[in-house]
Amino acid sequence: MICHKVRRKLAEYAVGGLRGRTRARIEEHVRDCAACRAELAALERTGGLLDSLSLEEAPAETWAAVQREMRGTERVPVARRVRWAWGTAAGAVALAALVVGAFVLGPMGPAEPQLVVATEVDEEMQATIEGHLSAVWAAPLSDEAAVGLRLAVLEDDG
Amino acid sequence: MDEERNEVEELAARARSGEAEAFEALYRSHQAGIYTFILSQVRERELAADLTQETFVRAWQSLPRLRKAGAFRGWLHRIAANLVRDEVKSGRARLEVAASVLATNGETLAPEPRADAAEGPEAMLASQEMKGAVWDALAELPAQQRAAVVMHHVEGMSMTEIAEATGVRPGTVMSRLARAREALRKRLSRYVEGTDDLS
Repeated sequence: MICHKVRRKLAEYAVGGLRGRTRARIEEHVRDCAACRAELAALERTGGLLDSLSLEEAPAETWAAVQREMRGTERVPVARRVRWAWGTAAGAVALAALVVGAFVLGPMGPAEPQLVVATEVDEEMQATIEGHLSAVWAAPLSDEAAVGLRLAVLEDDG
Repeated sequence: MDEERNEVEELAARARSGEAEAFEALYRSHQAGIYTFILSQVRERELAADLTQETFVRAWQSLPRLRKAGAFRGWLHRIAANLVRDEVKSGRARLEVAASVLATNGETLAPEPRADAAEGPEAMLASQEMKGAVWDALAELPAQQRAAVVMHHVEGMSMTEIAEATGVRPGTVMSRLARAREALRKRLSRYVEGTDDLS
């Protein structure tokens, strides 16, 4: 390996990111090349400087403020998250069935089918919406939040 | 390390079921990491303290939904990072600010100096000056690199843990650390260039 190729990989080597043959080649080169060895030493010293930095404590009054907030807040219930994925899928399937049913089987159904089915869908969708809101609140960029948003858009379009 | 992780996992499980004392223990063991992480991003102590407070309040509220109690630290950082991002979006904080701007404003990212009886005054001063220079160099890095460096080197998080906290692959974390190392090596050349290997 020649110097300029090694230099491009030295930082990755220094942070422990290389394995196998590339790592072995760099080690072999550095053994014989003083300039690259010096560069690697500088990168490692930089790592040492970073390791020497210390944490800073949050101001002492922060915990008291957190406690005050804790007393006045409501926690997000557990059950919603577990049910969320299935709730979403079930809600989407039920919605699709409702749409298809309304067009194909509508005239053959009971006297007020929309009202009965719609109540079931509302409950599922309500759980879905609540679950989605929880997901968005906790992690706005999570997959769950994104999927929920997409479903909401699709339902809106539908 | 495993013992520490098990303890956090147990505390997080207890806090999840509503034990305020367990949550306080989690706060005590994680506040410095979160505060330092936020401070490295927003670079204003008052704002960093407010966001630290908000991070723990939100953690308490949504703990019942944390699936893996062992992933508490990464999850906490995710909440903190989301809050920082919201601050930046609202215009109350900026992620990319040159260290020279901070110097002009009389602020620095470097933590408050702490007395260390084991060091003599001169060594302590030199050490403080060097650490200040490192923090200032860190301030000039892109926000994602800076976050990775602080989590890895200052907080001692593994690449996998950082990947979970930031929602990227461990390879991306490694790449950010490597790019940051290169940039910092140049900015800190007066401290890291030795003559011992230049034979």
